[in-house]
Amino acid sequence: MLSPERLALPDYEYLAQRHVLTYMEDAVCQLLENKEDISQYGIARFFTEYFNSVCQGTHILFREFSFIQATPHNRASFLRAFWRCFRTVGKNGDLLTMREYHCLLQLLCPDFPLELTQKAARIVLMDDAVDCLMSFSDFLFAFQIQFYYSEFLESVAAIYQDLLSGKNPNTVIVPTSSSGQHRPRPTLGEASMLEGVEASLFCQCLENLCDRHKYSCPPPALVKEVLSNVQRLTFYGFLVALSKHHGINQALGALPDKGDLMHDPALDEELERLTH
Amino acid sequence: MIPGKYRSVSGRAASNVNCGLHLVIQTSSLPEKNKVEFKLNKETPSFPGRLLQHDLERNYSSRQGDHINLVSSSMPSFPILQRSSEEKILYSDRLTLERQKLTVCPIIDGEEHLRLLNFQHNFITRIQNISNLQRLIFLDLYDNQIEEISGLSTLRSLRVLLLGKNRIKKISNLENLKSLDVLDLHGNQITKIENVNHLCDLRVLNLARNLLSHVDNLNGLDSLTELNLRHNQITFVRDVDNLPCLQRLFLSFNNISTFESVCCLADSTSLSDITFDGNPIAQESWYKHTILQNMMQLRQLDMKRITEEERRMASVVAKKEEEKKRESHKQSLLKEKKRLTINNVARKWDLQQHRITNIATNQDRKDSDSQDHCQNDGSTISAFPEETRSLDSGLTSALQGLSVTDTHLVEVEGDTLSLYGSGALECLDRNWSVQTAGMVTTVSFTFIEFDEIVQVLPKLKIKFPNSLHLKFKETNLVMLQQFNALAQLRRVDQLTIDPQGNPVVNFTLWKYYVLFRLSHFNMQKINGTEVTQNDMIMAERLFGILAHVASSELPQYHLISILGDARKKQFRYLLETKGKKPGIVNEENNDSKRLVGENTNRATLNYTTRDFYNEKLEEIKEKKKFCKMYIEDLVKEATEINMKNEALQKLWPQMFIELVRDAVMEIRNKNSYMKLCLQQITDQK
Repeated sequence: MLSPERLALPDYEYLAQRHVLTYMEDAVCQLLENKEDISQYGIARFFTEYFNSVCQGTHILFREFSFIQATPHNRASFLRAFWRCFRTVGKNGDLLTMREYHCLLQLLCPDFPLELTQKAARIVLMDDAVDCLMSFSDFLFAFQIQFYYSEFLESVAAIYQDLLSGKNPNTVIVPTSSSGQHRPRPTLGEASMLEGVEASLFCQCLENLCDRHKYSCPPPALVKEVLSNVQRLTFYGFLVALSKHHGINQALGALPDKGDLMHDPALDEELERLTH
Repeated sequence: MIPGKYRSVSGRAASNVNCGLHLVIQTSSLPEKNKVEFKLNKETPSFPGRLLQHDLERNYSSRQGDHINLVSSSMPSFPILQRSSEEKILYSDRLTLERQKLTVCPIIDGEEHLRLLNFQHNFITRIQNISNLQRLIFLDLYDNQIEEISGLSTLRSLRVLLLGKNRIKKISNLENLKSLDVLDLHGNQITKIENVNHLCDLRVLNLARNLLSHVDNLNGLDSLTELNLRHNQITFVRDVDNLPCLQRLFLSFNNISTFESVCCLADSTSLSDITFDGNPIAQESWYKHTILQNMMQLRQLDMKRITEEERRMASVVAKKEEEKKRESHKQSLLKEKKRLTINNVARKWDLQQHRITNIATNQDRKDSDSQDHCQNDGSTISAFPEETRSLDSGLTSALQGLSVTDTHLVEVEGDTLSLYGSGALECLDRNWSVQTAGMVTTVSFTFIEFDEIVQVLPKLKIKFPNSLHLKFKETNLVMLQQFNALAQLRRVDQLTIDPQGNPVVNFTLWKYYVLFRLSHFNMQKINGTEVTQNDMIMAERLFGILAHVASSELPQYHLISILGDARKKQFRYLLETKGKKPGIVNEENNDSKRLVGENTNRATLNYTTRDFYNEKLEEIKEKKKFCKMYIEDLVKEATEINMKNEALQKLWPQMFIELVRDAVMEIRNKNSYMKLCLQQITDQK
């Protein structure tokens, strides 16, 4: 707790990094919204419940998208809630379209944007026919990557485009970057003739990205692992690999392994009780 | 002197009267003299021969015939007719050549005073050699083989022309016969009435047993009293109203099937006698009274007198039919108007949904179309102003178009209330009679945004309490969440979501979601198919956990804020039982289900329309800003205090040592310290 790096940050930044302020602000906002009701049973109790629910991950239910997206913990909680609520749909074996999954998402978050769901669908379907049917597990893992790491993925996409067109993003000047590593440019011929980009170069760029990115990103070691298996890869190939990687899933901590996706003994019990 | 053997011939025709002429024909080919007695043919064909007979009796007195000699002429084919001067004097104005086996008309010499000429029952093929008989009044060529009317152009005095039972194909060459009184052309092959328009003295025209298919071109026959058209193929009749004197019209055995085809008869003021028997029209149920109703001037129909009773009946029936026709016309008008309005609403809807790309021109077209329809409707409705007054209540109870404008349509038809277009929702504000509202069990929404419907659902609940079946078509149902809004209704037995205009139906799971969310309604049917127990179980299986999570895992304050006032009491109760196991909470939910009417564990699944939602978010923005500032202030305070605390932490060791040193140095000299303390105490007082 009393690590030196923690004390090294100025107070405000420290709080911001841990997203404490987000929750504080939201708590006070909720308090204001419902003050007549809450005043009935006490403010202290309200705060207890609020932070309890934050810990349990139920605070994001039926909340607006801006809140859900606000912190990584919120995102992870949302993913977990989605999994728990609609695991039965997946268990039933139905293949659904992107729009149907989006509908289910909207049941939990009324203003969830369609673009995110579309992007997730593109990962599953490798950018083809977005109206195809998808299985629950495929969609869920792809959606996890897309939603949790959305900003990171945007940057990756930009890098990929740069690499495709032959530019080396390392020479792009980033204001906050201190490391100005200059690498020799890859020959244009190489990049354009074959599909995708060279894995090792891509890996290097991503490492740099992870270093300077202030948003969450997957553990660099695991990213390296993903990229070390192949020579060349496309953008969507990379994303699919990310989504299927067990390590990343575990690092995220929201969803169980693919094998265990359909199992949830506690809720199954609950379900039995409800239906009989 | 008549030879005995021929006298018997004349005896045969004793019942027939009057003139007989003895004719002796001598041709070069015949060795012997043939004396044949002619009688004027008194057999009447299908021709009301009374008239003819009457006329003849009037004009021509009967006489015995006289001898005639026919000698051969210089022309080999034409026999020449000669009569003894005795006969010429006796019967100077009449000549009968009946049944003389004539194949041609003989040349008649020296008989310029002849007024009556009879060629009945011969084989004459052409009318010839009579142009010198310019005093001729009566010419009878019945039963010959004449194919063309000709050779009559000099007979300007002719009054009676009998050409029945010949082979005439065309009426022609009658131009000079302006005095014609009777024209008999029955039993021929005439297909068209023509070239008779100049016969302004003609009183009787017989065209029975011909090949006429229609009747027209009768103008100019200003004296015509009787027109016989029996046994033709007539399908329609025209121009009869142009005949000012026509009293008798015989149309038996033709092909008339509707009154419209003979409607000109209604305009004829002179007609008193008409026959239609043997026509298809005579088989119709409405035949008699239609004819009677439309031809008030008639005295006889199909040779039977028309009684007052019949006339009265006819008018009654006709009135009833008129009523019925008017009513059905009104209905079809209404239907048409409805159809147009629905089309209009549909077009507006499509525009709204941006399905029509070319908005500008369509807008114009729509406006002009609706204007046209307006005008059409206006003009046709004004043509029947008395409709609204003479309504038969029995006919209109089935259909009530209550509100029809260009932009929306509200219709109550028995047990169904149909609303087209968003403007129709306003009808829920109207006052409805308890009876009408009570009868409505089905409500159908078309071309209305679902979000708009959601807002009036409470009103629907109140105004139409018995509505059990809801139908939605073209209402833009896109999200499963929207079904949550239906939970607020009292009860729904059946739900029909038409795939057209409702994308949500394409989802595999939509029915299960509906069954799950609206489980408290115990719905019977969705989109026409029965809801089975399996469906219900599946629905629970799929979404049961969602309900569980939505109710038990939500923090209490959140629950309350979602559910609002109505549920506060309930949840206060639930709050108190919070410590118990979730299973028991469920049971209590089931109990309270009877009270509240809804399974509360899914009550949190609400639907707020997009607009409302955005509004709410906008409102919260202010609060959020305030919270942010407030927290910032708090953080600032906290960091300041923290800084101060840290600074204090740093300085404290030093400060502590100094404090101790100061204290020790003070107490070093015991005596001076004691004095100092005492001094301090006295100073304090």
